[in-house]
Amino acid sequence: MNATENVKIKKETKNKIRVDFDRTSAWTRFRLKYLSLRFLGTVIFKLFRLVLLLGVSYVILFPFISKIASSFMDPLDFVDSTVKLIPKNPTLNTYKQIIVENKYVEALINTTILSLLCGLIQTFVCCVIGYGFGKYKFRGHKILFALMLFTMIVPHQTLQLSLFMKFKYFDIFGILGLLGMDTIDLTNTYWPMAILSITGLAFKNGLYIYMMRQFFRGVPDSLEESAYIDGSGTFRTFIQIILPLSVPMMITVFLFAFSWQWTDTFYTGLFFTGRNSILLSKIITIPRTLDVTYAGGNLFSAAIRNTCGLLIIAPLIVIYLFCQRYLIQGIERSGITGE
Amino acid sequence: MSKEKKSTPKQKKAAPTPVATAVPVANAQAALVQGSPVAPQKKRKVVSLDKKKARAGWFFVLPFVIGLILIYLPIIYDSIKLSFNEIIPVRGGGFKLDFVGFANYKEALFDDPDFVTTLTGGLTQLFIDIPAIVIFSLFMAVMLNQKMIGRAAFRAIFFVPVILSTGLMAEIDAANILQENMQSTENMSGAQVENGTTQIVSAMEVSALFETMKVGTGLVQTVTNLVNDVYNIINRSGVQMLIFLAGLQSISPHIYEACSIDGATTWETFWKITFPMISPMILVNTVYTVIDSFTGTTNSVMSFIQGVYDGGSKTVSSAMAWVYFAIVIAVVGIVSAILSAYIFYQRRD
Repeated sequence: MNATENVKIKKETKNKIRVDFDRTSAWTRFRLKYLSLRFLGTVIFKLFRLVLLLGVSYVILFPFISKIASSFMDPLDFVDSTVKLIPKNPTLNTYKQIIVENKYVEALINTTILSLLCGLIQTFVCCVIGYGFGKYKFRGHKILFALMLFTMIVPHQTLQLSLFMKFKYFDIFGILGLLGMDTIDLTNTYWPMAILSITGLAFKNGLYIYMMRQFFRGVPDSLEESAYIDGSGTFRTFIQIILPLSVPMMITVFLFAFSWQWTDTFYTGLFFTGRNSILLSKIITIPRTLDVTYAGGNLFSAAIRNTCGLLIIAPLIVIYLFCQRYLIQGIERSGITGE
Repeated sequence: MSKEKKSTPKQKKAAPTPVATAVPVANAQAALVQGSPVAPQKKRKVVSLDKKKARAGWFFVLPFVIGLILIYLPIIYDSIKLSFNEIIPVRGGGFKLDFVGFANYKEALFDDPDFVTTLTGGLTQLFIDIPAIVIFSLFMAVMLNQKMIGRAAFRAIFFVPVILSTGLMAEIDAANILQENMQSTENMSGAQVENGTTQIVSAMEVSALFETMKVGTGLVQTVTNLVNDVYNIINRSGVQMLIFLAGLQSISPHIYEACSIDGATTWETFWKITFPMISPMILVNTVYTVIDSFTGTTNSVMSFIQGVYDGGSKTVSSAMAWVYFAIVIAVVGIVSAILSAYIFYQRRD
């Protein structure tokens, strides 16, 4: 009742009124807002959260910082007990030797081609397969989906010998054998990875297909129905309506596929056995000119390996800096649910 | 209904040959069995939308079906066959397989001195790690979902491991003595390398602290190990955090609003709203974590099998891998069966 008494309503114009009322005093407002238990709790919680997030961020970033720091260190710094993170005799020699002696540039080009090839194929194929699983109910789709999950669960390490044999003595579905021709040796080429990618069987493709499927299940059916009514066929609808729609999700999948292929050691180790195939995963060796034995030798060789790792992921870091928002947005939009 | 559907492809096959005598015997019999002597040409023109859609569905999943039939299943078959055989090299570069029954499995399980120990050790480690990863990633996702200053930056940092710390980097890190050395307060000379491991929590001090509380040394040991393993756990929970974040985003804000109007505290809101709503995601993430940590290259059992493979006994490693895989399937099955009982689905349709 008090409130209404204090309010003064003045009609200024026809459509406008002005309301004046007494405000609570500044002190009271301050006291109610800030000197309460609830506010104290909020502050403590926020501080706790900040400290926790900073701490975890530190744990995540520290390995990178330490790797970067040690990559600039001279062999002398590793025996100096006063050197922790900041090198006393900074040098670029480690980088120089790795790039020159380990054929970094050649490996970089080869790996870029391989990862781009696999990333692009896997993104498209998983999108197509995911669309099939997400939008169509055909006979046996449940069994097929279960088999898809099965491919995700069986570690490829289990199958490595059979995988290797399959591509070492590659026989196009038994046709070559029928014609009496020899099998083809596909190892040390990009073909094994390309074939695995096209058929959606490569590394973690089950996860990508699952992500795509969940995304397409969230796309309303009415969108396609209206396209059908307008006379567009299934495939035209897919290419002109569905594909543009799924670009954010595809970027996410591409990021995963590209970077996981980039840092992969299993498939490259399995299919690229020759000396001539230089890939990034194979250059983690100590350059001959840097291979010295002295007191800090252990640490120095560890630092060299770390520097190799840094050089390998350097392009990925650049890509991540530009694309990380797509990663998060894509996942958020996918609405992955456990159903 | 189903008979109708079955008969269609067969009719299609018969369609190009309208003269009854020209129909191959098998097809004719099939048509007789189905008992639908409808004129095939009339039926062919009309294809129902459902059937059309089913065909389109098959077309979309075709790449996977081809790969499954022509590459994956033969590989699975080969691998299983291999685990029951012995490779005998033949002069002239080839090899031949000799069936030995369960000898490889016997060697893996009973004769090999390290396999069973590695297996049990690895499994116990995983049973500690998996709940830790799921709980940690849920906790972090809830944190990262709140509005605050620098949220975008924190998110960017938190998902660095997803992209950068996989495969190769994980392998480099696994054998990384330098990093531990830098965190330590000891000097960096080579003498300190062997025992220069730094631990965030010194197990001794914590044990001393809890000894009076009668919690049990085993538990204390587990907890301190977990805390010291935090880097590993953070690195492995990136994808899970992404999935939880996606799940948290899909919870309607109206529910939270209604809760706060009714006077629920944040704590209550979490347990009564967020937790049940996110529970399907907990299942997904647990299964994903199980698969991911069981099949990762840094897993001790996986690397042991890899070592056996590299060591030359390829058939034994194949047998070990299948034993291990059977355990993985069992664990996935048990975990999802247990969790499914407690999962809350918002809509059951």
